[in-house]
Amino acid sequence: MLSRFDYVKPQTLEEALAYLAENAGTKILAGGTDLMVMLRRNAQMPEHILDIKSIPETRRLDYKPQEGLFIGASINVNEVAGAAMTREKYPALAQAANALASYQIRNRATLVGNICNASPGADLSGPLLVYDAKVHVANSQGQQTVAIHEFFTGVKKTVLQPVDIVIGVSLPDVDAADAVFLKQARIRGHDLGIVGVAARLTAAKEFRIAMSAVAPTPIRLTRMEEQLKDRPLTPELAAWAGEEAAKSIRPISDVRSSAEYRRHIAGVLVKRALSQLLAAGGI
Amino acid sequence: MCERYGAAKTCFTYIDSGLPRISLHCRVNSEAVNAFVDPSMTLLSFLRKELKLFGVKEGCGEGECGACTIIMNGLAVNSCMVLAVEAEGAAITTVEGLSPDGGLSILQQEFMNHDALQCGFCTPGMLMSARALLNRNPDPTEAEAKEAIAGNFCRCTGYVPIIAAILSAAKLEKEARAK
Repeated sequence: MLSRFDYVKPQTLEEALAYLAENAGTKILAGGTDLMVMLRRNAQMPEHILDIKSIPETRRLDYKPQEGLFIGASINVNEVAGAAMTREKYPALAQAANALASYQIRNRATLVGNICNASPGADLSGPLLVYDAKVHVANSQGQQTVAIHEFFTGVKKTVLQPVDIVIGVSLPDVDAADAVFLKQARIRGHDLGIVGVAARLTAAKEFRIAMSAVAPTPIRLTRMEEQLKDRPLTPELAAWAGEEAAKSIRPISDVRSSAEYRRHIAGVLVKRALSQLLAAGGI
Repeated sequence: MCERYGAAKTCFTYIDSGLPRISLHCRVNSEAVNAFVDPSMTLLSFLRKELKLFGVKEGCGEGECGACTIIMNGLAVNSCMVLAVEAEGAAITTVEGLSPDGGLSILQQEFMNHDALQCGFCTPGMLMSARALLNRNPDPTEAEAKEAIAGNFCRCTGYVPIIAAILSAAKLEKEARAK
């Protein structure tokens, strides 16, 4: 059924990076929920599969005051959603994690896989954008971090090179928990999003608004964030932001939704997200 | 497209890759399994073809329908989305592992009592998702039960009797524990 490949499961990062540098045509496997579909359809025909789940660095899921939250590449989406620190400090991320696909898929799928797959509709990308997450990338030359807003370069494209491994994603420590994630999908509990919206009001009372499935990559609405700056959050402002967001995006029509509906629902979700921030005590 | 069988043909059946086999040690329904498996074999194929556990069903093969759901290390997962070699060291339960000797578990019995199956194809996956739910949450609400089987498609019975069966089983298991 699947294409012809061998399977390696290195125990250390050094081993994995060396293998990757020496063997072209290697695909990285963590949760495999995207890769297995690609293999089955013969849309990907790798010669080697590199399973990174034994690498200790990718198993990290911890929060440190000042440093923030680190989510390793082997941490599955249910682990992210269930962690007390995610729910308390990063509610938008917890809500998005709970909204991704089905329960069984969430037990395998990883947060890092969700962004490396670089689907325009990746549910977890919005929350990572509003929290200014950093992607930790390693290759045999060394390690570096990439800001999440520089990570996506197009539909299914990222800055990653074939020799790179993403070890994990880090989120800076945050004071206020004012953030929300909303998603419109055809079926609740098991579907890709038609539109996803993540909104956050920072401790400095600045807005962060990100959307998925409305452009070739997940996007931050930075221009609108600027316009919202220093304006008190009122029901009128939420309504204005909804209209403005609908005007500023150029979504496409596909199997899940027409562009018109996407534009409309994007506006509704932005308004609803800001209204929820208002109700939660934002000013 | 299929590299092994020519560009025109789509591969839908498992084909041995011919690559060196990899050793696999795991526990399936509490029994130790030691085998050598093809690196490209899915766990679903392994359970059905090698272990002859035909309760594990292949539906879509892409993680959409949930017919192949098993419990792996305590978590409900789609076995079509897992490579057999990834199960190294794992503890796996399939629907065959649910029933006690010579009978049915409370959950299985409640599926029957509520007519929660017609053709039965989705039933093993439904049972495994329900089992995983009751293991982590012995007293689920209706909404939680719905959420837990959102990844399991049923195309003939409908979900109402299935949800009723799960909630009823939760109640009966609670009573059984209290005794």
